[in-house]
Amino acid sequence: MVAHLLSLRFRLMLNGIRRSPMVLVSTILGALWGLFILVGLIIGMVALAFAEPQWAWITAVLGGALAVLGWVIVPVLFRGMDQSLSVEKLRTFPIPPQRLLVALLVVGLLGVPGIVTAIVGLATTLSWLREPVALIAAPFAAALGVLICIAASRAFESIGAALAAGRRYREVMGVIVFIPLILLGPIIALAGSSLSSISGDLPRIAAIVSWTPLGAAWSIPGDLALGRPLEALAKAGIALATLALLILLWRRSLATLLVSPPTAGSGAKRSKGLGPFNWYPATPTGAVAARTTVYWLRDPRYGGSLVVLPALAILAVFVAVTGSEWFLLLLGPIFAATLAITLCAEVSYDGTAFASHLSTGVSGVADRAGRVITLGIISVPLVTIATVVPQIVLGRSADIPALLGIGYGLLLTGFGVSSVASARFLLPVPAAGESPFKTPPGSSFTSQISMLATWAVVFALSIPELVLGAISLIGGQMIFGVAALVVGVVLGSVLMVVGIRAGGALLDRRGPELLTSLRRARGA
Amino acid sequence: MTEEAATPVVPAPATSSPAGVPALRIRGLRKSFGQKVAVDDLDLEVPAGSFYGLVGPNGAGKTTTLSMATGLLRPDAGTIEVLGTDVWRDTVKAKSLVGVLSDGVALFDRLTGEQLVTYHGLLNGMDRETVAQRTNDLLELLDLKSAGGTLVVDYSAGMTKKIALACALVHAPRLLVLDEPFESVDPVSAANIRDILAGYVRGGGTVIVSSHSMDLVQRMCDHVAVIGAGRLLAAGTTDEVRAGSTLEDRFVELVGGRQHNEGPAWLRTS
Repeated sequence: MVAHLLSLRFRLMLNGIRRSPMVLVSTILGALWGLFILVGLIIGMVALAFAEPQWAWITAVLGGALAVLGWVIVPVLFRGMDQSLSVEKLRTFPIPPQRLLVALLVVGLLGVPGIVTAIVGLATTLSWLREPVALIAAPFAAALGVLICIAASRAFESIGAALAAGRRYREVMGVIVFIPLILLGPIIALAGSSLSSISGDLPRIAAIVSWTPLGAAWSIPGDLALGRPLEALAKAGIALATLALLILLWRRSLATLLVSPPTAGSGAKRSKGLGPFNWYPATPTGAVAARTTVYWLRDPRYGGSLVVLPALAILAVFVAVTGSEWFLLLLGPIFAATLAITLCAEVSYDGTAFASHLSTGVSGVADRAGRVITLGIISVPLVTIATVVPQIVLGRSADIPALLGIGYGLLLTGFGVSSVASARFLLPVPAAGESPFKTPPGSSFTSQISMLATWAVVFALSIPELVLGAISLIGGQMIFGVAALVVGVVLGSVLMVVGIRAGGALLDRRGPELLTSLRRARGA
Repeated sequence: MTEEAATPVVPAPATSSPAGVPALRIRGLRKSFGQKVAVDDLDLEVPAGSFYGLVGPNGAGKTTTLSMATGLLRPDAGTIEVLGTDVWRDTVKAKSLVGVLSDGVALFDRLTGEQLVTYHGLLNGMDRETVAQRTNDLLELLDLKSAGGTLVVDYSAGMTKKIALACALVHAPRLLVLDEPFESVDPVSAANIRDILAGYVRGGGTVIVSSHSMDLVQRMCDHVAVIGAGRLLAAGTTDEVRAGSTLEDRFVELVGGRQHNEGPAWLRTS
């Protein structure tokens, strides 16, 4: 049975890879990259053997604790990332929970992340090459640690499965939990700058973590090497108890999941009236604008694309505080450049629901214009605030016209260019209802190239206002800044209208082909 | 709701079709996906004012044919006319004449039911008052009034079919193309939908439905076409096609592939 599920798992993985050559290539590239990191880690472990044993211990405890944490958090974040062998699919088969548990544990261990964790975990043994007692204990401790990783992951996943049955809960969580992750960059930057002050505390942090279920298993060989056999014994006890408790918890939730499927759709959201449909004029364009407004409010995939903006703002403030103001100065244009191409993904977000645009025969121009209107209402104020506020705070109000000119120019030009681009090619996006941050299958090289190309075109078409703005910023002459603002708005608007027209015509012509590729993208 | 009350609120199509022009005329239609030929030189004529059933085994090309007839999928060859208008030449006019319920495509399901029907009405270029009036009528007619403020994503499968039908009806099309409209709809709702469709046909409209349920088609449709492997196997009035037998027997006879055995021995428990 265990072997059976395992072979099923590998069969699913292989078939997934074989679907297209692009997926195969990107899988191989990813695997090579992973292998590269793996080799680096192993060399690091060997190097640690020649450092003080204290450091090998700290590395093992903190790294191990992070691994356990990662195993718990990542599956909760990316719900549905690997559902190929989810309990829901196995429920119909007569498998006793006991054996299913063992099978899922083994399957988890022999997946790609499991194998990597196991190799790295066992590689910690190498850092004890000069400590015979620790060298003998290390593989057993590592095995215990890896098992805790997988058991914790599975236990929290199946407990979470019952919790996450409500759609709304899932969607909100999907966005919220990502905010700290996006802010991870600034946090690491912050931590990096003050690492010297933290490094003195690392031994203490490791000492505390080593007594928690997260780090206990990983601490055992180090404690032995550093001459603390009693502590090692106590931590082995903690680790074993953790594993036992996790398996017990998992077993119980698995047993409930097997007999009582979590029911979805309870507490359906109700709303009165037509909402945004009353705000816009009763035309096809207005209807598209109203519909995309509803989606910006309700579909986490749309709002999720904005999460990067506060992260950028915080990063800009952080960089400004630590010395360099250029990031904060350019925040408005950076917002504009980011927002300008969000439109590219819209038809892909529609998915096969785009068929309703096609079957009602709504004109491509109305489709394009409606989407631009909504994005414009959202992004023009954002760009304005992100430009004006920093300049006032920095006391550089004279630069406002130049930067606004660049920002509006990029934004409006971007609307035009992405109106054409999104009628031309589709981006692989998560389907409606999936986690907004899920990496969909086939997010390949080509789509990234086409995004970059879109960006390049936007910048190339904005060269006039970019040059005028740059002259004003460097030379300090406001007259060029005003010129940049005028050129940015006028040229940008012209390009936007041209883009909407051209994109609309393209959509009228290519609509059925676009729907066919949307169907294919959804495997329908 | 009684049938008498139901009939008048169906958005009635204008009855001004020139005599003799079929609601749908398909000539030499072809479509292949890579190596696989989905529709192979298909001819089909659906008379105006008929209640037309389209039946065929899985993969016969029903959905492909209907997609091409409604402007959702470009044919490799052949012509399609809706009430005399070429679908692939005068696309916008043809689409304004047709209401579509597609199988296997998503709806904008983050809208409420009321918003979704309104959306379809406005996309068709109707004014706000007409859309509001018809949305209200259709929700009442399809017994979705109480669910009008619920997001479509939270609807059951049957309710989703009904709201999709409302979207197809809102612009009062002359031809209604319904791909599997009764799939996963409960019997009561299905009976209500049948009444609505019958009323629509009496009012001068034409309905094409594809279905797997032979019984349903035999009772409901006055015309029927049988499609197999992308070709037309039989077409005509329901009585002509079934030729004295039941539609189901005739279908199996035309399509073939029926296996006369009782399955492997181990499946027989006694």
